[in-house]
Amino acid sequence: MRNITKIFGHLKANDAVDFKLRENSIHGLLGENGAGKTTLMNVLYGLYRQEEGEIYIHGQKTDIVSPLKAISSGIGMVHQHFMLARPLTVVENIMLGRKSSRGIFLDTRKVAAEIRELSDRYHLMVDPYARIWQLSVGQQQRVEILTTIYQGANILILDEPTAVLTPQEAETLFSILRQMRDDGKSMILITHKLEEILSVVDDVTILRDGKMISSFKVTPATTKEELSRLMVGRDVLFDFNPAAVKPGKERLGMKDLRVKNDKGLPAVNNFSLSVSEGEIVGLAGVDGNGQKELAEALTGLRPAEGGKIFINGIEAENKPPAFFIHQGVAHIPEDRQNMGLAMGFCVSKNLIIKRFCQQPYAKNGLMNYKNIKNHAQKMIQDFQIKTNSTEDITRDLSGGNQQKVILARELADEPSVLIANQPTRGLDVGATEYVRSRLLEARSKGAAILLISADIEEIIQLSDRIAVIYNGELMGILPKGSQPETIGLLMMGKRQGENTGVKENQ
Amino acid sequence: MDNIFTATFFVSIFASTIRLATPILLTALGEIYTQRSGILNLGLEGTMTMSAMAGFVCAYFSKNLFIGFLGGIIVGMICSAFMAFLSITVRANQVIAGTALTILGIGFSSFIYRIIFGIQKLPPQVESLTKFDIPLLSSIPYIGTIFFQHNLIVYLAYILAVFSWIVLEKTTFGLNVKAVGEHPRAADSKGINVSKVRYTAVIIGGAFAGLSGAFMSIAYMNSFSDTMIAGRGFIAVAVVVFARWNPLRAMVGSLLFGIASALQIRFQAIGVPIPNQFLLMLPYLVTIIALITVSKKAEFPSAYTKPYSRMER
Amino acid sequence: MSKKINKIIQAIFPALLMVSGALLTGAILIIISGNDPIAAYAALLEGAFSNSYRISETFVKAIPLMLMALGVSIAFKNQIWNIGAGGQFTIGTILSVIVCLYFKLPPIPTIILSFIFAFIGGALWGGLAGWLKARFNANEVITTLMLDYIATYLLAYLVYGPMMDPNGFGYPQSAVIEKVLRLPKLIVGGRLHTGIFVAIAILFLMLLFWRSTLGFKIELAGQGNDVSRYAGIDNKKIIVITMLLSGGLSGIAGWNEIHGIHLRLMTDLAGSYGSIAIVIALLGNLNPLGIAISAYFFSVLIVGGNTMQNLTGIPYSLVDIIQGLIVVFVITRTAFRTESIQTFFRKRRYQHNG
Repeated sequence: MRNITKIFGHLKANDAVDFKLRENSIHGLLGENGAGKTTLMNVLYGLYRQEEGEIYIHGQKTDIVSPLKAISSGIGMVHQHFMLARPLTVVENIMLGRKSSRGIFLDTRKVAAEIRELSDRYHLMVDPYARIWQLSVGQQQRVEILTTIYQGANILILDEPTAVLTPQEAETLFSILRQMRDDGKSMILITHKLEEILSVVDDVTILRDGKMISSFKVTPATTKEELSRLMVGRDVLFDFNPAAVKPGKERLGMKDLRVKNDKGLPAVNNFSLSVSEGEIVGLAGVDGNGQKELAEALTGLRPAEGGKIFINGIEAENKPPAFFIHQGVAHIPEDRQNMGLAMGFCVSKNLIIKRFCQQPYAKNGLMNYKNIKNHAQKMIQDFQIKTNSTEDITRDLSGGNQQKVILARELADEPSVLIANQPTRGLDVGATEYVRSRLLEARSKGAAILLISADIEEIIQLSDRIAVIYNGELMGILPKGSQPETIGLLMMGKRQGENTGVKENQ
Repeated sequence: MDNIFTATFFVSIFASTIRLATPILLTALGEIYTQRSGILNLGLEGTMTMSAMAGFVCAYFSKNLFIGFLGGIIVGMICSAFMAFLSITVRANQVIAGTALTILGIGFSSFIYRIIFGIQKLPPQVESLTKFDIPLLSSIPYIGTIFFQHNLIVYLAYILAVFSWIVLEKTTFGLNVKAVGEHPRAADSKGINVSKVRYTAVIIGGAFAGLSGAFMSIAYMNSFSDTMIAGRGFIAVAVVVFARWNPLRAMVGSLLFGIASALQIRFQAIGVPIPNQFLLMLPYLVTIIALITVSKKAEFPSAYTKPYSRMER
Repeated sequence: MSKKINKIIQAIFPALLMVSGALLTGAILIIISGNDPIAAYAALLEGAFSNSYRISETFVKAIPLMLMALGVSIAFKNQIWNIGAGGQFTIGTILSVIVCLYFKLPPIPTIILSFIFAFIGGALWGGLAGWLKARFNANEVITTLMLDYIATYLLAYLVYGPMMDPNGFGYPQSAVIEKVLRLPKLIVGGRLHTGIFVAIAILFLMLLFWRSTLGFKIELAGQGNDVSRYAGIDNKKIIVITMLLSGGLSGIAGWNEIHGIHLRLMTDLAGSYGSIAIVIALLGNLNPLGIAISAYFFSVLIVGGNTMQNLTGIPYSLVDIIQGLIVVFVITRTAFRTESIQTFFRKRRYQHNG
C-alpha cells in the first residue's frame, strides 16, 4: 500500500501511509486507539475508499472497490465483531455468499468435507455441522479464519484477534497463525499488545495520529520500551493541573470487585481501588479492558459477581441504579447517544431525567415544567450549551453540545462521586478543553472523580493518581507526573514493578 | 348403526380439517420466508382479501379458474411489494405498516368489487374448483376420503410445505434469506444484497398469501365478500411463530387451527352443546405458550423487524 | 401568545396535510370509479351533519374511539406496539355486564363498580401482555393479537352459553341491563349520552397524565432501555404499568358502550375499533388533544360514509381506504423525520457516482 490517505470530514485518519507486507510473514500493525490502524485495513479490505494512494498485490496494482473484490484478490478479514449468524451451522456460514457447485442447491456435504480437511490441516478443530451459538468465542474466531482461508485468502487481516480470547486461546491462535505462515500465507495482526508483537510477529509497522512512524523487522533485540516509545511518543506535556488539593476521606471504594461482560465472560477481576473527596483518579487503559463494565457496576447498571463497592462508606454492590443516583453518584457514560441522553427529548427534559421526581421539578406527582425550563435556561448559560431554546430536540445538537448537556446534568447538583467514562472522546478541541476544566472544577468542589480514559494525555493532565487497567485487572497505581511511556507499558499489560523502575505509590 | 355414524363423523371431520387448514398453511408458508428474512408482515389479512377479490374477478370474467389463481397471486405480490417498500426502503415501523396494509387491502378490495359489480340481489358467483380424486388412493376406505378427495390447491399446499422446507434448508437462496434475517451485516460483507433478498422474500410471501386468498374465493367458496378472510391472515402469523419458522411444523400448526374450525362447524351443525369457543381459543393459547418458550430461547430471527442500513453500527 | 399559536399551527399542519392528501387520493379514486368527488364528499358531510341525530351520532362513535386511541397512545409512547385494544375493550364490556346483571347492588354503586371492573379487566388483559413481555421477552405484537382473539371467543362463549338471555329466542346475546343502569341520554331522538362527560374527564386526565411523573417515566422508557435504566427507572415494571393503563382505557371504552349504547353483550362488539384506534393515535401524534380531534374526524367519516354510500353509490369502503392512506402518510413522514429516507437517497447518489 503506497501513500494511502483517508479523510473523514476534516480529520485525516490516514495521512500518506506506506505499508508493505512480505510474503510468508506475520506483520504487526501497532498503534494507539485512533491511530488509524483499522481505517488503513478497511481501505485494504474495500470497506472504505482511499482519497489518495494505490494498493499493489503481488506487485500488481489493484483497485479494491468492495469487500468482494478484496476476497477475489485473496484478501480475507477477521473482524473484531464476528460476522457469523448464530443459529446457522459452521458450514452454512462458510457457504454464505459463495457459488454452489450444485447450482441453486447447496453443496453442503462437499463443502463440509473440504472444511474438515482444512480444519485438520491447521489444527483448527472445527466441526462443520456445529451451530455457531454452541461454540466458544475462540472456536467462533477459528470459524472466521477458516472462512477466509476457504475463500482462498492468502492475505489475512486480523483485527485485534486476542481482545476476546483467554490467554490459552490466544496461544492456540498464535500457533495456528505460525502454521499458516509456514504454509505460505501472510497475515496482518492489528494490535496494541506488545507481547504479541514480540512473540509472533515478523515485521512491525507503527502508526501514530494517522501517520506511519516506523516499520522494521522484529529481532530478539527489540524491546517493549522501544515499541512503546514509538507508539506513544510525544512531547513532554505541560502541567494543566497545578492545584492538587489535599484529598479528603474515601467516597468511592472497590474491593476485589468482579464483573462480567454481556457475553457472560469475566470483564473485571478482583479490582480494588479507592477514590477520595477532592481527588481525580485517572483510570488509563486501552479500550475493551473492562472499563465499561466497571463503570456500569459502579452505577448499578451491571451486577457485581463478587467483591464490594462502597459509596460514601455504604455497601452498594448490586443496588439498583436509583440508589446510586440518590447517593449523588454522577455518571458520564461512554455511550452518550444511547445511555447518556434521551435523544428524542428536548434539552430541558434531558437535563432532569435523573431527578424528575424531585422538587422543584415535580410536586405531588406532577411535573413543573416552568421550573424545569428555568433550570434549563440556567444550565444552558452556565455550561455554554449552544441551542436555540430549551425546547430544542437533543438529537439536533452537535456532539460537543450533547456532551455539555450530560455534563450540566451530572455536575449541576455537586455530586459526591463522578464516574466519567471517556468524557472527551470524539469532541473537538474547544469542547474537550471545556469538559476538562469542568472536571477540575468539580474536583475543587469536593467530588471524588474516577476518570476513565484511553487518552494518556488526558489522564496525565487531569489525574492526581493514575491507575491502569488491563484485561480487567489493576496493573498498578502511578503518581501524578508519571511519564507517558511508563503508563503506556502498564496499559500494554506489563505489571507495575516488573522491571520498570517505578515504585508503588500506595 | 351407531358405530358407522361415528366413523363417518370422524372421517368428515378430518377431511374438512385438511381443507380448512389449507388457506392458513399457504399464507403461513409465505410468511415464513418473509419473517426469516427479518420482516414481520402483519398486512397478510389485507393482502389475502385483495387476492380473494382479484382471484374472483379474474375467474369471473375469464371463466377460467387458472387465470383467477394467477390474478390472485399477482395482486398478492403487488400488495407485499408495497409492504416491502414501506419496511425496507422507507424503513417504517413494520407493525404499523402491516396495520395500514390490512386496512387498505380490505378497503380497496371491497371498493373495487362494489365498483365492478355494484349491488346485486344475488351475489355473483363462479364455478368453484372441483374435487380431484386421486386415482386408486382415493378409494381406500376412510383414508381415501380424508386425504385424497380434495381440490388441487389443497394437495398443492401440502406439497409446497415440503418444497419450502427444501428451499429454506437446501438451497443457496434459502441460506441467503436466513442470513439476512439473522445477521444482515455478515450477509452484506459476503456480497449478498440484503435489500434484494428481503424484497424477494416479502414478495414470495405475498405470492403465497395471494394463492391462499384466491383459494378462499374460488376454491373454498364461489363468491367474494370483504369479510371472508375472517382473521386467517393474522392466524397465519400466529402459526409461523408457533411453528418456529419451520414449514413442516407450520403444517402441524395449520392442522391444529383446521381441526378446531372443523369441529366448531360440525358441532354447530348437529347442535352438540359443547362450548366449541374454547376449542377455537386453543390454538391462540398454544401460540402464546409457544411464544414464551421460544422467546426465552431467543429463536426469533435476530434482525426481526429491524431495518438494515450499512451506515449504522 | 402568537408564539403559542404558531406552535399549535406547527403541530396541526402536518396532520391536516396528511388528511388532505388522503382525501385527495380518495377523490381520485372516486373519479376513476366514474363518480363526482364533490358530490360524494358533500353527501358524506350531509350524512354526518344534516340533522341533530346524525350530529349526535358523530359524538357517540367518537367516544369509544377516542378512549381506545388514548389507551393505545400510552403504549406507543413507550414503544410497545399494543395492537389488541379490541380485546381489552371486549373484556371491559364483559365485566361491565357481569356486574350489572349479577351483582344485585343499588344503581349508583353498580355503575361505579362496573366502571372499576371494566377498567381492571381491560388493564389485566393488556397488563398480561406487558407482563409476558417483561418476564419472557414475548413479542407484544403477537401476544396482544392472540389475546384479542381469545377475548373475542370468550365473549362468544358467554353469549352462546352461560350468559345467553333466557328470553332471547336463542339469539347470541345476553340479557339487557336494567333501565336505571343506563347512562342518561342528552338529546331526544339521538343516542348521545352522558358517557361523553366521562370521556371528556378522561381526556383531561390524560392531559394531566402526560404532565405527571409517571407519564414522564413512560415517555423516558420509550426513549430506549439504556437511557431509562441509566436514569434509574425499572424498565420491566414500567412495561407492565404501561400496558395496564393502556388496556384499562380500552376497558373503560367498553363500559361506556355497554351503559350508553349496547346495553347487553353481543358477539363481536369490538368490530374493527382496535385498528381504527391505532390510526387515530398515530394521526393525533400520540397527543391527547390531537387524538380527540382525530377521533372525531374518523367518527364523521364513519357516520357520513354510510350516507355517502346510500346517496351516491360510492362504497363505504372508501372510508377504510382513507384511513389506510393516512397511516401510510404518517409512517412515511415519521421515517422522513428520522432521516432514514434521506440516508436512502444519499446512498443512491453515492451508488450512482461510484
